[in-house]
Amino acid sequence: MNADLMSTIEALQQQTDSAGILEIMYDAIEDYGFERFIISGLPDRGVDVRPFVLLSGWNDEWYERYTSLGYVHLDPVARNCFSTTLPFDWSDAPFDREADLPARRVMDEARDFGMDEGFCVPIHMEGGMQGVVSLVGDTSELDDKSRLELHMLALYAHGQLRFLNTRRTDLAPRRAITSREGEVLKWVAAGKTASEIAAITGLSQRTVNQHCENAQKRLGTNNRVHTVVEAIRHKLIAL
Amino acid sequence: MRVHIVREPADRYSIDLLERNYRLRHKIFVDMQGWEAIRRPDERDIDAFDTADSTHLLLLDDGELVGGSRFTPLDKPNLLQTVFSDLVQGEFPASPSLGADWTRFYVRSDRREGRRRAPESAALFCAMMEYALFEGYSFITFVSTIYMLEHGVSVGWHITPLGAPAMIDGKPTIAAWIEVSEQALDNVRRVTRQPAPMLALRGLTRRSPQPPAIIRH
Repeated sequence: MNADLMSTIEALQQQTDSAGILEIMYDAIEDYGFERFIISGLPDRGVDVRPFVLLSGWNDEWYERYTSLGYVHLDPVARNCFSTTLPFDWSDAPFDREADLPARRVMDEARDFGMDEGFCVPIHMEGGMQGVVSLVGDTSELDDKSRLELHMLALYAHGQLRFLNTRRTDLAPRRAITSREGEVLKWVAAGKTASEIAAITGLSQRTVNQHCENAQKRLGTNNRVHTVVEAIRHKLIAL
Repeated sequence: MRVHIVREPADRYSIDLLERNYRLRHKIFVDMQGWEAIRRPDERDIDAFDTADSTHLLLLDDGELVGGSRFTPLDKPNLLQTVFSDLVQGEFPASPSLGADWTRFYVRSDRREGRRRAPESAALFCAMMEYALFEGYSFITFVSTIYMLEHGVSVGWHITPLGAPAMIDGKPTIAAWIEVSEQALDNVRRVTRQPAPMLALRGLTRRSPQPPAIIRH
């Protein structure tokens, strides 16, 4: 197995935000001769694509144009994702150049933006949801092995972005203690007494004790040691 | 929905369930997915790895069998290291005694329709991670089309290929391993919104003799 691909796959799964994935993807696809990419879900006909976009590595102007004008519903490349499970070259996405003028307009405009060739990986999710990872660049030198590797890379990137998306919406309300309580608990963990913590933080000793008791209540713990242990275990404080 | 664990020695109910599992598997893998190599005249999908060593996780809804999966310990004869050994070029992350091979994952096709993340496969994903933690496994291997990589990673699993992907019967196929951890269980439960345990582990003894994997948070 290609060692670079293995480390890219590992790195993708370590990322905790989409900015990290953007950097890794730019680097990784460059090795295969691609410059830009987009990762997105494909909405039903007539539905705005913007909430479905997972990560854009496109030129801003083109992204703006493509998404605001509903091009996803005209684009033969996007359309072809619904009829195949295997990756394909953009040039192999079928459309009638004579009769299908909207499709032709999208393809021609893309060319004006320097995006005349590319490689598209359809992503089929459970329940019939459809996604896409589309790479911009010349495909003529791409062999079967590289195509398979890019296919895998696309699946990993799409999967990790989907995971981060669900996490982002679920994590926010889970913060269990305040930042002040966290700060006090850190000093407790460092072995400081309440009076020492009061001296360090400038709070009164009473307030320090109050913070500890509040954290204890929030975490449902029995004493100060237990509170610190739970706070560390749930990564509410870092030492 | 609940997930029933079947392994030897099985009681009468489990034996009946296992029989239904073999018939349903034949319908799904042979008749629908076209695995002609395992077709049998009695229309039961039973292979060399449906032995006393394997454990079946069977998903029931209102008494009806709707999905399943099979685990075979990696220190016993298994599908990965025999039929699919060509796909394995890398090393396991730990001793084979700490891993199991996950095979024959299915959800009945009428349960996969409609635009939704099927709760059936979510239930099985949760159950398999619960089961692996219970057994003290630290990794689960599988052979699948590469699409599984996207599904697994999207529920917060860490998946590492065991070799390069290859085209098998026109489908891109890979061998890989999934890391078993409390984090992996938390993630799949949160993403699939199935917070409650899927397995009834009470009364079940662990198969493997070594202590359970260290629980990480």
